[in-house]
Amino acid sequence: MILQGIVTGIIIGGVLSLPVMGVALIYGVTGILNYSIATIGTFGVFVTWMLWSSVGIIPAILAGLLTSFVLGFGIQEFLLNPLIKRKGNDLTLFFIITFGIATVVSGLTKIIFPRPTISIELPKIGTLFIANVAVDISKVIAIGIALAVLLLMRILEMATKTGKSWVATSQNLKMSKLVGINVEFVFSLVSGIGYALGFIGALFWGVLYNLTVITGWDLCFLGYIIAVVGGIGNVLGGVISALIMGIVISFAGYWLGGMWQSVVLYVILLAILIITPKGILRSERSV
Amino acid sequence: MKLKNLQWSTILLPIILVFPGLLVLTGGYAQWVTGYLYLFIIQGYVAWLLFYKAGQSFYGYSATMALGAYTCVVLQRFFNISPILQILIGALLSSLLAMIFYLSISRSRGFYAGMASFLLAILMPKLIEALYPITGGRSGVQINSLNVSMGSANYFLVVVLITAIIVLFVSWLTRTRVGKIWTLISENEDLAESIGLNTFYYKLVAYAVAGLISGLGGALYVHYTNSISSVDINVFTSVSIFFIPLLGSKRSMYGPVIGALFIVLFPELFSSIERYIEILYGLAYILVMIFLPNGLIDDLGRLLKKIYFQVFLRKKLENN
Repeated sequence: MILQGIVTGIIIGGVLSLPVMGVALIYGVTGILNYSIATIGTFGVFVTWMLWSSVGIIPAILAGLLTSFVLGFGIQEFLLNPLIKRKGNDLTLFFIITFGIATVVSGLTKIIFPRPTISIELPKIGTLFIANVAVDISKVIAIGIALAVLLLMRILEMATKTGKSWVATSQNLKMSKLVGINVEFVFSLVSGIGYALGFIGALFWGVLYNLTVITGWDLCFLGYIIAVVGGIGNVLGGVISALIMGIVISFAGYWLGGMWQSVVLYVILLAILIITPKGILRSERSV
Repeated sequence: MKLKNLQWSTILLPIILVFPGLLVLTGGYAQWVTGYLYLFIIQGYVAWLLFYKAGQSFYGYSATMALGAYTCVVLQRFFNISPILQILIGALLSSLLAMIFYLSISRSRGFYAGMASFLLAILMPKLIEALYPITGGRSGVQINSLNVSMGSANYFLVVVLITAIIVLFVSWLTRTRVGKIWTLISENEDLAESIGLNTFYYKLVAYAVAGLISGLGGALYVHYTNSISSVDINVFTSVSIFFIPLLGSKRSMYGPVIGALFIVLFPELFSSIERYIEILYGLAYILVMIFLPNGLIDDLGRLLKKIYFQVFLRKKLENN
């Protein structure tokens, strides 16, 4: 029983960790705590869902991914980059602005897509047995993707020029500009990748639960807050706290039922924030 | 010069606040919306006091407001206490919540504290939904309100008068020693500490006052609308309350009035295109933050001047 709870928790945590990684990645490089990641991810999933029956699964998912990436890239390039140039990293300012972006996008989602509730059914690949607990492989993919992205980012940071330019930009902005890194392009690229991670998170959220604009907002709150609790900008801390929160969600849902589940979740998040005022792991930027 | 301005505003402000209230005292739609406006002006002054005066980033306004409102609901449904006592207890409990919140997050500074209060704003509606046998949850709960028992016109006048008193109180408070110390803390906390001020105490007072007024506003709110549900006090309410002083003004006492006018009248004006209201709200957040960083009162003049110079003077120069 406990084992099953833990397995379910890790599945939920894996899904949660994707938007969390998006938030943390964007913060680490650009210094903006972006609120709108999961809402734009939800928009992308609605695009996927609309195209699903006509073009098939893989192209539909790619289209959704591309939509989120392009939206994220565009928002960063044309709205946030000029603002960073003018006003620096004012967290309150960007909190309200990205909240505004999320509001606009969720309003657009409601207007463009007439159907309010969608649920994604990935094709069944098979069942996996983890210590006698049967798990759908399609649900485990999320945590696999999360770990793969984590690994890929480390490899990119170590081996490629693009990855090194991220690290450089997050460590010393002025110096990176001086040595000729196109800082704004790096910002936009990372932002697009963050939003794409948000899309994958929202997609698997739609596999686990029904996806509506409102549950998209829930994912948005969770992604944002868990990233803060993990130590803002620290991708690993974000993933760890997402997994912990997944297990909390799983057990609270089992013992207390749906209504109290989210109460317990948010109380625990608040408690962590009170006990460790700067997050579980150290933030990779000084706030 | 500055002192003179302040005195003028102290005399003018209650007149500006009370007079329009008397104009719409005809019942019906105009009075109903104006009542809402006054209730949001109260919350707007709380946000202005805490964010611009004391420099605390707090996003939990809907939580303190909800505590005031739901205290009234619970006291009436289960203990049948008189409404005035309900409102007072609601305000006190809400002040207590704000103080406990500050005590628990006092170790963290700035943005993390703001995020903890944002969590409080997310938590509150979920808690109310989980406690639905007591609070009515998402579908809401009705109470025997003062609005019905006193008559809507009388209760409306009570709301207007209390708003005016609160605004006078806030404007008085900003001119006292405590208010000036708040300004110092918001501008440079280290400096305030270095000259021997106990910033912890002054910030605690700021939270206590803000919680008290916010809870009072929430209690008045539930007696005005006769019912309340978890949807009324969700995160969006909190962000719009936080937005009121940002839109209004950084310095002027009139700022929250302007901000509340926008927050309340905007959905009413655009009720014919309700489908797009969310998008318009979001755009308003973005545009105000970009173009009016010090608020409408402080920046509108400058912005118009800039546009005038850009558009008209450039043409003239080109023609010459």
